[in-house]
Amino acid sequence: MSEGALAAVAEAPLETGTSRRGFVLRTLRHQRVALAAALFLAAVTVTAVLAPWIAPYPLHEQVGPVFGHPSSQHLLGLDDGGIDMVTLLIWGLRISLVVGFAATFVSMVIGGIVGVVAGYFGGGIDTVLMRITDYFLVIPDVPLMIVVAAIWGPSLFHIIIVIGILLWTSTARVIRAQVKSVRERVYVKRARALGAGHTRIVVRHVLPQVAPLLIASTVLTIAVAIFDETALAFLGLSDPSAISLGRIIENAFERAAISTGAWWAIVPPGVLVALLILACSLVGGALEDALNPRLRVAHLSARTFRLRPLVGRGKDAV
Amino acid sequence: MRGTDYVLKRVGFAIVTVFVAVTINFVLFRLAPGTAVTNLSRVPHATQQLRHALEVEFGLDKSKWQQYVIYLKQLAHGNLGVSYQNQQPVSTNLRNDLINTLPMVTLGTVFAIVFGTFTGVIAAWRRGTKTEGLTVGSALGFYAMPTHWLGLMLIIIFAGVLPTAGMTNEFLLNPPFWTHVRDLASHIFLPALTLGLVLYGEYTLIVRSAMLETLGEDYILTARAKGLKPRTIVRTHALRNAMLPITTLIALSLGYIVAGAILIETVFSWPGIGRAVYNAVLQRDYPMLQGAFLVLTLSVIFFNLVADLLYFKLDPRITE
Amino acid sequence: MSPPLLQIEELHVWFDLEDGGELHAVQGVNLSLEPGERLGLVGESGCGKTTTALAIMGLLPPNASVSGRVLIEGDDILAGGEEAMRPHRWVDIAIVFQGAMNALNPVRTVGHQIVEALELHDRARGAAARARTAELFEAVGIPAARAGRYPHELSGGMRQRAAIAMALACNPKVLIADEPTTALDVMVQAQILELLDGLCRDFGLALVLVTHDLPVVAQLCNRCAVMYAGEIVERGPLETIYHSPGHPYSRMLFAASPDLAGLDEPVVSIAGAPPRLDRAIEGCPFAPRCDSVFDACTIRPRLEQVAADHDAACHLNSRVPVV
Repeated sequence: MSEGALAAVAEAPLETGTSRRGFVLRTLRHQRVALAAALFLAAVTVTAVLAPWIAPYPLHEQVGPVFGHPSSQHLLGLDDGGIDMVTLLIWGLRISLVVGFAATFVSMVIGGIVGVVAGYFGGGIDTVLMRITDYFLVIPDVPLMIVVAAIWGPSLFHIIIVIGILLWTSTARVIRAQVKSVRERVYVKRARALGAGHTRIVVRHVLPQVAPLLIASTVLTIAVAIFDETALAFLGLSDPSAISLGRIIENAFERAAISTGAWWAIVPPGVLVALLILACSLVGGALEDALNPRLRVAHLSARTFRLRPLVGRGKDAV
Repeated sequence: MRGTDYVLKRVGFAIVTVFVAVTINFVLFRLAPGTAVTNLSRVPHATQQLRHALEVEFGLDKSKWQQYVIYLKQLAHGNLGVSYQNQQPVSTNLRNDLINTLPMVTLGTVFAIVFGTFTGVIAAWRRGTKTEGLTVGSALGFYAMPTHWLGLMLIIIFAGVLPTAGMTNEFLLNPPFWTHVRDLASHIFLPALTLGLVLYGEYTLIVRSAMLETLGEDYILTARAKGLKPRTIVRTHALRNAMLPITTLIALSLGYIVAGAILIETVFSWPGIGRAVYNAVLQRDYPMLQGAFLVLTLSVIFFNLVADLLYFKLDPRITE
Repeated sequence: MSPPLLQIEELHVWFDLEDGGELHAVQGVNLSLEPGERLGLVGESGCGKTTTALAIMGLLPPNASVSGRVLIEGDDILAGGEEAMRPHRWVDIAIVFQGAMNALNPVRTVGHQIVEALELHDRARGAAARARTAELFEAVGIPAARAGRYPHELSGGMRQRAAIAMALACNPKVLIADEPTTALDVMVQAQILELLDGLCRDFGLALVLVTHDLPVVAQLCNRCAVMYAGEIVERGPLETIYHSPGHPYSRMLFAASPDLAGLDEPVVSIAGAPPRLDRAIEGCPFAPRCDSVFDACTIRPRLEQVAADHDAACHLNSRVPVV
């Protein structure tokens, strides 16, 4: 988002208190596609949380032949270890979401702090922090993740930290711009004049204005975090004991699912990942759009204005 | 010349960033815990001579600071050490790998830029119609698919019709030129298509967004008031202005494509720099890893600079 | 008697709203313009004057629907929609927008943009077009050398002159100016107004000046139409309306303008806000803010003749005086 757009956002009255929380719901209600996506995410999260109770078969027990075909008992067939795919997917969803949320949380915390500090204090601190951000941006994510995961060793915790460390930059930038414009608002200046401390101003005035943007940025980051985890898993760098969706794909690839024609071992996990990423992108995008009050008139479009038959004013004659 | 200062400033900034990247590279690999990483001379199956030569070359017995200076010096000469896997100089390996990667990546990117721009413009033009919904939906779909999974899907679809691994058919010994070309073409198709589809999704969204923004600007209304035909307006006014953000975003993404190729090359066993990274990780070939990582970072910096300069050239409003 | 140069009949414009409703932005506008006349279309922001001006040239967005007729020398140019309107644009009617930075394409030189208009309508090509551009620049007071400059390299006043030069390129019969001086500072405003005055005289143009700024109208126009809530509430010669306004809104507008109200009169602003146009209005739209409202005002007034060549939509004009 450009600085100008965010400045416009800052001018749009965003009240504190209940409207803040209502913002997400209001936005979603107005955009049906985003609402569907949000419901999907909610359903998926609930499924993941309830995994131990709703998974139809045990996770580590072989219940049939290797790469067993889909049947009425096993809707998506069996994987290379004879384990039920639906069960695998539900548990895999759980791991993927945990990694996605946790990594995003890490990046949100780092990005939020950097953004607020840089935006609020400005000057030298701002320059230094932005330089650091620029250098972080220049490093290509996937190779760095690979290198760090390789050196550090594949554990869930390491993966979460690695992904989180790479994703904070865009959040930081967006938050910083917003904080900068909020800082210039009259009520903040008044608070400063009255002698309010920095912490108080940040917590009471800056954060509420920044929160919606942070939420939008967070949702979008979750999409990237899930993708990154899938990529790392595919390259064999994720935790072997935690079977995430990415890991399922990697296992299938390693055990030649394709050449044995066992498409059910590869297609469903990927579809699920794609849907997750799609849903997060839609919801995050809708929130971002809602924060952007520029109502663009289409001066040119395939559709043109319509003609209507002549209207008289006869009815309400004097 | 307009804005020589600007150009110099951007180039200067790029050089500084290169320096920082090189330093980060050193810190990451040489200062990480564990002597396996730090010891460039521990090339498996190497002769004692080679090991000793490397030790001297990189000053592995000296202090970290001295090692850093030596590292910079060697870097200036293009010496990145010796690969653990084939005892060849890292720089030679990387050069060969890069030569394999570039055509595949270029093909995919060109495909994505051409089709992405076309679709993006149409989506913006037909705002609010079903066409827009369809194009945006499909673009989002491709954008959301994990790159490697899409590659696997294409393998499933095209298995038997197109080769799905490697760059050439190894059983073809000394093939005539055109057979060789056809062989290469059939091998490059799927990996390039995978990259192309994923990027197509992203670029369509970028182009559509930029066009929507542009089509809301006042000068578009002026152009329409002048009596220009819609097609002319889109081409000479809207697209020309939308090119600014579009070019920047595409150029910026190019730097990361070479890195993203890692996944595709792994799926298709394509012998390029992406797969080199993957193998280096697998074999714990740290000199290769360090070298490849450096090359990838440099490519990002390079394309960022290209993006900066392109924008500068296209936008007459930038003068300082 | 030959038809008027420009005639607008029963023009209505609706905009589709996101929640499914409609905004009735222009509610039955009737206007006519003869060659050489300068009509000031005045009113507050949101009264529909800009929409009316854009509708004359069919420059409405896709969420708009229109009814009514726009006649140029008797031919209805609105009837065929966007496609049919296009050949008339710039050659019959041209428009100058508010001098914002972006009214001209920022990545093309100003000269090029004028040449584009000339070539599009087959007035000149190549070197002849460039020569004609230089002539136009001279007519508006820009040094010819500036043709090679980009819009951002010109001052606000220069940009507006360039926009005017471009509008005149194809010798239109009618020039619409939508807030042409609002974005400029006072000194430059005066220059641009003088320029417009001279050009309209020299080129025999009819002018429709859309503005909320009454002194500008006073300087440039001989006729005036006052708009409120999407409809015309008074129209006639400017002098007449100024001296004997037939509608309280017109009276209060002039009173609210310090330059025109007279040095001894207090400046009065009009309290309240215009009515919403997304629902039907009961009675006179101005009633809530009117200082002379009375019982007849619950019925919506129509635009009726008050005197020769002077119409107003107010029940006060037909009130039988109580003796």
